[in-house]
Amino acid sequence: MTKNPKVTVFSARRVVTLDPSQPISTHVAVRDGRIIGHGGPEVVGQFGGTLDARFADKVIVPGFIEGHGHATDGLMWRSPYVGYFARTAPDGTRQGGFRSVAEVVGHLKAIEATMPPGKPLVSWGFDPIYFDGPRLTVADLDIIAPDRMVVVAHVSGHILNVNTKVLIAAGFSADSNVDGLVRGQNGQLTGELQGPAVMGRANRATGDGGLLRELDVEGLRDYGRIARRVGVTTSTDLANAMTPANVTAMRTATAEPDFPIRLVPAMRAREYSIEDGLARIAELRKLSTPTLQFGLVKLVVDGSIQGFTARLRWPGYHNGAPNGLWYISPAELEATVKAYHAAGHHLHIHTNGDEASELATEMIGRAIEAHPRADHRHTLQHCQMADGGIFRRMKAFGMCVNLFANHLYYWGDQHARHTMGPSRVRRLDACNTALSRGVPLAIHSDTPVTPLDPRFTMWCAVNRLSATGVVLGEAERITQAQALHAVTLGAAYTLKMDHLIGSIEVGKYADFAVLDDDPLTVDPTAIKDIPVVATVMGGQVFATS
Amino acid sequence: MIPLTVIGGFLGAGKTTLVNHLLATGGKRWGVLVNDFGAINVDAALIAASDGQTMALTNGCVCCNMGDDLGDGLAAMAARIPPPEHVIVEASGVGDPWRIAQMALIEPGFTLEPLVVLVDATALPAQLDDHWTGDTVARQLAFAEIVVITKIDLADAAQLAMVHARIAQLRPQARVIETAHASLPETALGFTPPARPPASRFQADEITHAFPTQRIAADQPFDRDRLRWVLGMLPASVLRLKGVCLLGTDRVLLQYAAERWAFSPAPNGLANGLVAIGTPQMPDLELLFSEAR
Repeated sequence: MTKNPKVTVFSARRVVTLDPSQPISTHVAVRDGRIIGHGGPEVVGQFGGTLDARFADKVIVPGFIEGHGHATDGLMWRSPYVGYFARTAPDGTRQGGFRSVAEVVGHLKAIEATMPPGKPLVSWGFDPIYFDGPRLTVADLDIIAPDRMVVVAHVSGHILNVNTKVLIAAGFSADSNVDGLVRGQNGQLTGELQGPAVMGRANRATGDGGLLRELDVEGLRDYGRIARRVGVTTSTDLANAMTPANVTAMRTATAEPDFPIRLVPAMRAREYSIEDGLARIAELRKLSTPTLQFGLVKLVVDGSIQGFTARLRWPGYHNGAPNGLWYISPAELEATVKAYHAAGHHLHIHTNGDEASELATEMIGRAIEAHPRADHRHTLQHCQMADGGIFRRMKAFGMCVNLFANHLYYWGDQHARHTMGPSRVRRLDACNTALSRGVPLAIHSDTPVTPLDPRFTMWCAVNRLSATGVVLGEAERITQAQALHAVTLGAAYTLKMDHLIGSIEVGKYADFAVLDDDPLTVDPTAIKDIPVVATVMGGQVFATS
Repeated sequence: MIPLTVIGGFLGAGKTTLVNHLLATGGKRWGVLVNDFGAINVDAALIAASDGQTMALTNGCVCCNMGDDLGDGLAAMAARIPPPEHVIVEASGVGDPWRIAQMALIEPGFTLEPLVVLVDATALPAQLDDHWTGDTVARQLAFAEIVVITKIDLADAAQLAMVHARIAQLRPQARVIETAHASLPETALGFTPPARPPASRFQADEITHAFPTQRIAADQPFDRDRLRWVLGMLPASVLRLKGVCLLGTDRVLLQYAAERWAFSPAPNGLANGLVAIGTPQMPDLELLFSEAR
C-alpha cells in the first residue's frame, strides 16, 4: 500500500485491546483521530502509516474512563490541601500526606505567613482518622493566626474545624447547646463544627464559601491536567447544575485543541422541575460534540454511609445511629424516574445504603413496567451495600452499576467498626457479586472525595485492602482483567459510549493510556504503582510530565 | 427579632396549601421560604415582581426559593427592606423540621415559634406503617408542638380517631388541630390560641390544650455553669424558654427549645426576664432556676 500521511502507527511492547477478535496486539494504526487497525508489525504496511516507536517498550491499554468523577476537583487546588493521603495537584506536585496535627498546623502556618492580611485561610481534605495523638483544636488554629479566620474542612465533607475568630464571627458561644457544636472535657468549644447548619453559619461568617465554587474554564483545564496524569481520557462530571455559565465553560474548555479528555456531564435533576428538566436535557443533547457528551441525568436518593445519612435496611447502623433521611421521597422518585425513563433519557442514580438501592431498583422496575424500553442502561452510582438479591433484580431490569471501589480503602476500617460492622463490611462495594449476577460493572473514585486514579481504583477492587492493611471481603475480589474492563469498556457501557471508547477496536476513538507495565500481568499489589507514561486522546499524544 | 415558624409534614399533607393561603390572605408581611417555588399559586394580580427565585406580592408578602443553604435564605430575609414581620420556612416533605427549627436558635435576629407539622387524615396511619416512609414521618412528628390534621372532610370518624391515637402515641406534648383545607388562620399557629373562634372551617373547639406560660425573674445574674446545669435538667414539658438575662456580667439573649439552647448578644430594647412556654404538665420552674442564681 502507498504511504498515507494521515496514518500513524504506534508500536508497543503490548497493546491490550479488549477487542474480542484480537485481545493482544503490538501495533495500532490511527487515522483522523480514530483507530483504523491493530495487530503485529504488518499493520504499518497494511495501512501505509508512519511508525511512531516512542512507546515501543511500553504497554498501551484503552484510555481509562472515570465513570463517577466531579470536575470541581480542578477548583479545589486554589485552596491548600491538608490531607493524610498525598495527592497530585494539577501542576504535578505531590501535596498533603500529613501524619499529625502538628504537621498540618506547621504547613498552614507557613502558608499563612505569605498571605495578605484579612483574607480567610480556608483549607480542605483534612483526614484525622489515622492520626495518633491529640485532635485538632481551636487553640492549634489560633496559633496559626489569631487575627485571621482559619477554616480546615474535613475530607468527609461533614465537618469543619475553625479558630476562635470564626467562632466569634459566627456567634457560637461555649454556653450554647445546639447540635453540631463539639465541646471538650472542660466544656469549652473545640472549634469542631458538625453538620450543615453550623457549618453553613461558619461559611457565611468567613464570607468565603471557598470550596463550593462554580466550574470555570481554568478549573476544567486543571481537571484535564489531573486526569491525563493518571491515564484518564474520558471523565464524567456527575453532578452538574447545567447553568448557562457551567455549559459555556464546558463548551469552551472541551473545544480547546489541547484539552486532554472527553467530558460527560450529568444534569442534576433536582435543579429543575420535571417538566423543565426534560426540556433542558433535550436541549443540551443537541450541543454534544466528540469531546463533550450530554445526556446523563443524575438523581440522589440518600446521603453517605460515613455521614450516617445513607438509608440502610435492617439492622441499620452497626453503632445504633438512626437511619439516614431520604433526599427525595419514594413517591417523587417514582414520578421522576418514570418521567425521564418514558422520555428516553439515561439515569444515573446515587444510592449509598442498601435501602436506597432497593428503592431505586423498585422504581426503575415500575417505570419499565409502565414504559417498556430496551437498553436504557440506568445505572446505580455507589450502590455500596447492595447484596445478591438487589443485584439479581438490577440484572432483571437491565440496570448497570458503578461501585465505589476506592471507598473500601479510605473508609473500610471505619465501616467495619462503626457503620456496617464486621460481617456486612464484607459486601461493601461487592464487585464480584455484581459481575457474577450479570450486572454490567464500572468502578470509580468520586473525585475529589477520593483521588482520581483508575490504577488505584483497579488495585482496590482486586485486593480489597483497607488503609490499615486489612482484607475486607476476600470473596468480593475481582480479577485484574475484570478490573481493567471496569475502568474502560465497563465504564463506557454505563455511559452508552461503548461504541466509541473503552477498547482498541477499529472505528473507535484513538484514546489510549500508555503504561510502563501491563496491568493484567503485573503483581496484583503493584497495579496502583504502574507509571503512566502518556495518554493519547483522539490520536493526539499528551505526555504526563 | 423576627418570629420564625417551621412547617413540616410529609408530601401531600397540605404545607403548600397552607403557605398559599397565608400569602393570599396577607394580614402580615409574611416572608416565606419554600422548597418548590413552582408550586406556589397566588392570584397573578397579587404578584408585584417575580424573578424565578423571589416573588414579591402587592400585600407586602415575599416568597423565596430556599436554595441549598437555609441560613443563606434566612439571612437574605432578615436583610430585606422592610424585613418581613414573620418568616415561615416550609420544610421538605422528607426533611426533619426539627433540624431546620434549630437554625432559628443560632441564626441571629430570629425567634422560634411553635414547630408546626401537618398530617393527612386519610394517609397518616398508612405512611407510618410503610417500611420506606414510616421512620421519616415519625421523626417529623417527634418534636412537633402543633400538629395540624388536614383533609378531615375526607376521613370518617374511625379514621380520624386512629390518626389522633397515632399522634398521641408519638408526641403527646403537641396541640392537635383539625382542618379540612389547611387554610388555617395565622393565630392557630402561635403558642397563644385565638381569643375567639375564627369564622372559618378551622375548629377551635378541637384544641386539646393551651400552652401555659411562666415568667422567670432574671434581674440577678445567673452563674454560667449552674444555668447550663439547670437548662440540661428541664423536662420535656418545657417547650420554649426565651428572654434576656445576665450570664455573669454579659447581657445575653437565651433561646431554648427541646433540650437545645443558644446564647447570643442581647438586642437593645428588651428588658431582663425569661418566659417559659410548655404543656399543661410543665412544673413550677422558679425553684429550679433559683439554683442557678
